[in-house]
Amino acid sequence: MATNILRRAASSVMKETFLTGTLRRSYASVAVGTDIVSAAPGVSLQKARSWDEGVSSKFSTTSVKDIFKGKKVVIFGLPGAYTGVCSQQHVPSYTKNIDKFKAKGIDSVICVAVNDPFVMNAWAEKLKAKDAIEFYGDFDGSFHKSLELGKDLSAALLGPRSERWSAYVVDGKVKAFNVEGAPSDFKVSGAEVILEQI
Amino acid sequence: MAPIAVGDVLPDGTLSCFDAEDKLQQVSIHSLAAGKKVVIFGVPGAFTPTCSLKHVPGFIEKAGELKSKGVDEIICISVNDPFVMKAWAKTYPENKDVKFLADGSATYTHALGLELDLGEKGLGTRSRRFALLVEDLKVKAANVESGGEFTVSSADDILKAL
Repeated sequence: MATNILRRAASSVMKETFLTGTLRRSYASVAVGTDIVSAAPGVSLQKARSWDEGVSSKFSTTSVKDIFKGKKVVIFGLPGAYTGVCSQQHVPSYTKNIDKFKAKGIDSVICVAVNDPFVMNAWAEKLKAKDAIEFYGDFDGSFHKSLELGKDLSAALLGPRSERWSAYVVDGKVKAFNVEGAPSDFKVSGAEVILEQI
Repeated sequence: MAPIAVGDVLPDGTLSCFDAEDKLQQVSIHSLAAGKKVVIFGVPGAFTPTCSLKHVPGFIEKAGELKSKGVDEIICISVNDPFVMKAWAKTYPENKDVKFLADGSATYTHALGLELDLGEKGLGTRSRRFALLVEDLKVKAANVESGGEFTVSSADDILKAL
């Protein structure tokens, strides 16, 4: 399955990555203390939407500033809508725990992927996750590229996508950040881990 | 690349899909089309309305008629990844004949000269809406929409060309 291809493609990353129990990649530009709005100036995401909603909103986008400024946000990114770990483990871990996030005063739980907003919308509806989580598309990968979280998954026939990661961001400042050693892993980017970090 | 036209030879290219055993496969267009009569239609995007509610259903409905006129394969292409194409194809449980193939990086769409920049709609580089009738790799009909319309690329239009 595609996850095996992902594991093989990521093994070279593992060799470079300094993974001795730390949860951070040494060369990611995102880390605790990063100001996400300054790291991604002028970048926007597209809220998951149906085409009709797209037309009536004139295909509007939401700036990174509007998403993060003055808010407590938990955001997680994943390689692709409709793919295995993303659909079966990553999103469900957040939908299951949404009440715990609300109890900790989190304003938004956001899922982002390098997909268009229409695919994100259909996927969110399929997973029945739209009530709990806000889904955004980073259709051209610009958000992930700014944070150096882009990853070439052409070996898995996905093209340029992103790492699997999660972050707790308060008023645009990263307070906690986790990224998997390989995009097919699901060890540090789930809801349970970040709940402990809030 | 100039857009593909009647009389051209259909270029080869590699597309991807999940097979009947749910394994990811790469497929060469020529392997599906050489020596055969095939219909290839392209859509701007999975899960968008004209594509989902009109273009695809038209071909699913008319598949029987197309096959009775000697069409061997009916292929739907979109610039989406194979996971999305698989999920989209599943929304048509009645479909038996239309193959959904993914041109994730738009390479084949580019080879056909049919790419379209839909960045301002949050879609990026996609394909124009089109339908081709190809016999033994020779293009017999090339119906390409100029914008977002749906006037020349339906199954009925291709039936007229047969």
